Amino acid sequence: MALYIYGIIDSSDRINEPIYGLDGACVYNISYCDIGGVVSELSEQLQNVTKNSVLAHEEVIERLMGHFTVLPVKFDTVFDGRDCVLSMMQSYYRHFKDNLNRLRDKFEFGVKVIWPADKIKKRIRNSHKKNEHEMPIPDGSSNKKFMRKKLEKYRINEEFEKKANKFINVMDIFFSKFAVEKTLKKLKTENLLLDAAYLVEKDRQDDFKEAFEHVKSSQPDFKYLFSGPWPAYNFVILSNKNDLLKDSEQEDLFDRVIQQRELVGVDKIWH
Amino acid sequence: MHDVVTKSRDVTLLEVLDRVLDKGVVISGDAVISVADVDLIYLGLKVLLSSVETMEQLRGAPITGPMQEPT
Repeated sequence: MALYIYGIIDSSDRINEPIYGLDGACVYNISYCDIGGVVSELSEQLQNVTKNSVLAHEEVIERLMGHFTVLPVKFDTVFDGRDCVLSMMQSYYRHFKDNLNRLRDKFEFGVKVIWPADKIKKRIRNSHKKNEHEMPIPDGSSNKKFMRKKLEKYRINEEFEKKANKFINVMDIFFSKFAVEKTLKKLKTENLLLDAAYLVEKDRQDDFKEAFEHVKSSQPDFKYLFSGPWPAYNFVILSNKNDLLKDSEQEDLFDRVIQQRELVGVDKIWH
Repeated sequence: MHDVVTKSRDVTLLEVLDRVLDKGVVISGDAVISVADVDLIYLGLKVLLSSVETMEQLRGAPITGPMQEPT
């Protein structure tokens, strides 16, 4: 039976709350040492990416987020059975643990800022024209005029970028005060000034939201899209290196987990 | 302040798509295949294709499309 995987969690415990994923199938945890891969059974391969399937995937991750630290797995990752999930968990165990530790009690927030690119460019153009009046253009051939136009366009774009950098830097100063990590994408389109994700500690969420409100009020001409808290989609770092645990390391790890579980009075490790 | 987050979550299908289709843990097949020597893992290439296409469209969308801001 194919298993659809939603995420990796920092627990090997059974999921007590009923959560339903793709195809309405119940999700469960396949434990490996002290972490788990949350899966549901998939009767047939996903044929199309639909809004419902994407939302079902996200909903499972959000529900898990309420109880665990979650590393969300990319949509439509399917394994051919439980053994394959376990093999993958074994291969990536160290990476998963590192990420789970790093991302514990932290959430991702998305910030998109849209600015009126046309207006900004128009303003730049007008200021250039004003300067031209002060320094009249000498008559010249059409080639010269063409080159002059090209140069003007280049200068406008250059200034446009400078302004974008300036705004982004100012905004980022406020956001970064309350974030531990960030990814910033500048001018994905002319209008999309900033597409950013910030990783924020759980108990600094309110400060971060306040920073957003402050930024928003300082530039009311811009449009803002704030979203979160999300699991750390943008902050999971996995190298492609196959970092398989050696047999002896795996046995040590299992022993340690069994000892820890005995200490807390849980004797069943594997589902 | 709590409402700000709740409302913004409601209106962010775009954000969901951006994350679910484009981000998250990508498990490379190599590691698993090398263990069992068969096709153990299926990574949806069609998802990659459709997500790029979708993103191309959607990334342009906020410019002219409705923006719902947290209030």
